[in-house]
Amino acid sequence: MQQPAKKKKKIKVPRVVNGVDTLVEIEVDDEGGPVWGPNDKHALLNQRLTRVDGYVKVSGVAEYTHDKRLPGMLYGRVLRSPHAHARVLRVDASEARRIPGVKAVVGATDEEVVEGSNRASEEAEKKNRIDVGDAKPAKGETVVLFAGQPVAAVAATTPEIAEDALRAIRVEYEVLPHVVRAEDALKEGAPKVMPGDKDPNVEPRDKRGDPAKVSEAFKECDAIVEAEYRTPIIHHSSLETHGNVVDYRGGDEATVYASTQGTFTIPGDAAQELGLKESAVRAVVEHMGGGFGSKFGIGVEGMLACRLSKQAKAPVHLMLTRKDEFLLAGNRSGSWQKFKAGAKRDGTLVAFHATQYQLGGVGDGSQAGQPYIYAAANSYRDRASIHTHEDASRAMRAPGHPQASFAIESLMDELAYKLGIDPVEFRKKNLKDTVYHRQLDRAAREIGWERRNKAPGGGTGPLKRGMGCGIGTWGGGGGPQCKVDVTVARDGSVVVAVGTQDLGTGTRTYTRAIVAEEFGLQIKDVVERIGDSRLGAANSSGGSTTSASLAPAVKDAAVKTRLAVAERLSTLLGGAKPEEITFGVGGVSGGGKTLSWKQACAALPPAGVKGHGEWQSTLAASGVHGVCFAEVEVDVETGRVKPIKMVHVQDIGLPLNRLAVESQMNGGMIQSLGMVLWEGRVMDARLGLQLNPGFGDYKLPGALEMPELVPLIDDEDKREAVIGVGEPSIIPSVGALANAVYNACGVRVRELPITPDKILSGLMQERRGA
Amino acid sequence: MADEHDVNSSRKQKSPPDPSRRRFLKGVGIAGAGAALADHLAQTVEAEAAAVQAEAAKRPTSAALELTLEVNGRRRSVSVEPRTTLLNTLRNHLEPPLTGPKLVCDVGTCGACTVLMDGKPVYSCLMLAADAVGKKLTTVEGLGTPESPNAVQAAFVEKDALMCGFCTPGFVTTVSAYLKQNPNPTLAEVREACKGNFCRCGTYPRVFEAALAAAKSVKT
Repeated sequence: MQQPAKKKKKIKVPRVVNGVDTLVEIEVDDEGGPVWGPNDKHALLNQRLTRVDGYVKVSGVAEYTHDKRLPGMLYGRVLRSPHAHARVLRVDASEARRIPGVKAVVGATDEEVVEGSNRASEEAEKKNRIDVGDAKPAKGETVVLFAGQPVAAVAATTPEIAEDALRAIRVEYEVLPHVVRAEDALKEGAPKVMPGDKDPNVEPRDKRGDPAKVSEAFKECDAIVEAEYRTPIIHHSSLETHGNVVDYRGGDEATVYASTQGTFTIPGDAAQELGLKESAVRAVVEHMGGGFGSKFGIGVEGMLACRLSKQAKAPVHLMLTRKDEFLLAGNRSGSWQKFKAGAKRDGTLVAFHATQYQLGGVGDGSQAGQPYIYAAANSYRDRASIHTHEDASRAMRAPGHPQASFAIESLMDELAYKLGIDPVEFRKKNLKDTVYHRQLDRAAREIGWERRNKAPGGGTGPLKRGMGCGIGTWGGGGGPQCKVDVTVARDGSVVVAVGTQDLGTGTRTYTRAIVAEEFGLQIKDVVERIGDSRLGAANSSGGSTTSASLAPAVKDAAVKTRLAVAERLSTLLGGAKPEEITFGVGGVSGGGKTLSWKQACAALPPAGVKGHGEWQSTLAASGVHGVCFAEVEVDVETGRVKPIKMVHVQDIGLPLNRLAVESQMNGGMIQSLGMVLWEGRVMDARLGLQLNPGFGDYKLPGALEMPELVPLIDDEDKREAVIGVGEPSIIPSVGALANAVYNACGVRVRELPITPDKILSGLMQERRGA
Repeated sequence: MADEHDVNSSRKQKSPPDPSRRRFLKGVGIAGAGAALADHLAQTVEAEAAAVQAEAAKRPTSAALELTLEVNGRRRSVSVEPRTTLLNTLRNHLEPPLTGPKLVCDVGTCGACTVLMDGKPVYSCLMLAADAVGKKLTTVEGLGTPESPNAVQAAFVEKDALMCGFCTPGFVTTVSAYLKQNPNPTLAEVREACKGNFCRCGTYPRVFEAALAAAKSVKT
């Protein structure tokens, strides 16, 4: 964290001091480029800004992809395989085509449907497409690798007729043996899922450390814990499903309205499918209803929509159904982690051995390497993927981290209790980075850590309360993809334009705020244009990199535009140099004179003044720490867990908008609550089918279960740089909740979700043991 | 369009499906899943179901219905198949459409499609448009506009009770209706009122804050 001393310079900036707009002198690093200045000296940034798209969203007029309506638009639907593993022998869509209102039918191939797994694609590329629409057998063969894999798609004048068409398509399958459970996939003779796997279904990832040294080190340990931890596959459950409206009516150009996290991932994919030039395809992402890592690229549903649109020569609206979404639109990979760890009496972790399996179906899955944030004198890990006949995992909010954090934080807790050491002190003993120490202390104070159950499961009565803690880390950081343009017109209106997308994180709001602050204007004085591939390039929203990539480029554009405007005003302001001219609520000042914003802009040329911004590495940073403490109440008669309170402390450098940051932190805590207590894909091993592909059986966190949530931004982090917060906020709470359950009732549940049956069987075992 | 007219005329000639029989088969299906029917019985039922389905497939579903709905104080005429839900009618068939209510689960689990029917919140994905004739319907668009939001909408923005915003129309509609019924709710009552709506971004705490703030603002 230590940085070499930098050259400093003093600059005057417009700031609100005690509610009054004032020019204050601040000292900043002199690197020539733009700087944010101290985090506590901003007029708009680091304040509580209501979101600029709030009113259109609360009144229902915000247009999402799902809401796009075009003249002559058709509705698309996808036909899914009902088998987990099968060879498609014949697809007969002739009946479907005869239904009035059905305008197009296309077949799907393995190539597009097994997303996230290149090896499967390569294998599939050798196979032919299904011949849809005639009654002949398929020329080659297509193998489906999971139940839900698209086999065909239709477009019709209404969604209802499209559903009729799906029912009228006849598909002949040769059903092949399948495997959907990791344990079964490891058995000798198990059906082979991926062609390249050596061990029945195991694909090695990485090995780190010396296992011989580790087993030697166990000899000097005073306490050893050996345990297995598991987490199920979790569904993103974005409320707007995956999908696109492809507007191609023949000709040279097309527009794709997409529910995506990457505006610029769409044109290339669509152009390929439509047979157009990439530059002729425009992607529009006005508003999008959640992605959480699952929406990059046009996807199989988008490719099918393109083909349907091309065939029908009409716009096609193909949004997945909720069931499609559960079965074929990706997931957070499950995990199976086997640990053996040993510590000294004083709490020092000296030996750690881990076997980590990531369970991503036909995808790779993901898992942060163990022992995660902790330092063990001797450690070894072996990571591998186990493949099953399930759809490919995709990135989901901090891919691999909640799984890893849950397991290691549970293990740390087990060791601490075994040694009789305060779990917080035990963690500090094994964490080199003191930021964690500071955050642990703050969160412990906030929740009242001393009130925890002194003996797990102690206390009288059936309702037992307990507390636990957990820790997480995330990289984030930015990159140079964003190209931002700011225009100031002669009437004083200001537009900031960049093709990026707002996932609900507040991108629109801070983009405006950065520009408004630079000119001493109000948020309402600036308009942002985003979500369009015809605007300046932008990165995809993955890895919490959007704000750290975008905000610096917006700042750079704003500064350059301010200087360009100032240059035009120099003669009016007594020949003041552009960098000496200041912009504030009181107007534009220099050379002893002041112009109102309107007066100043009236002096600009007819086309106004434009500035272009690029990413500035000094305005972004990476690497964050997060700590969560949770309090829960366990009913030991029913096994029901009631979350009471969660406190999350998170550093993120310069918070662009405190209100939005806190909202995201709440969201992270709530999603982890779902993962710990309720959520998880349930598969029928014999049938190879998911048993809970809908919100009726896949339990999301709801209004009645909400605990008190306390999101705390760690302002001790003085970095004057932007870092994303979306992903870090879902990590530490997973372990915190699981550990709180143990502290409350004395039952250590090592497999998520922590459902009442697991608590009750744990209590029963305890009683038998005693 | 010509072939659709043909279908419509042929629809009228066919006798309607026997609802009692269909309900019976459906009932057996559900019971069978729980009670594990003997194989031969299951096969018989499956065969019968397949026969009914095959018969039904030959028979066009039905002719279009001409309906007039009263939505947001306006009478709106629309032509839909009888099976069309109120939600799909609002979103796909009205011209111009009302896409404020969202299609999220389509089976009445999430509340994103909530609209008011004679002032009461209903899941519009669980209703047929035909059943909404003669009722006063209000969608989120009818509660307020970006320029002139109602107290709940204003409070949602003020308290940041939305992120991606896809669940928001449902929550706003539910809360607006609830505050009319109970203008002075407790936090526990607000939670109870919101239990039929899902949010995935995790805005619940701020939805509660917004609901309580809106109640307060209406009083003062």
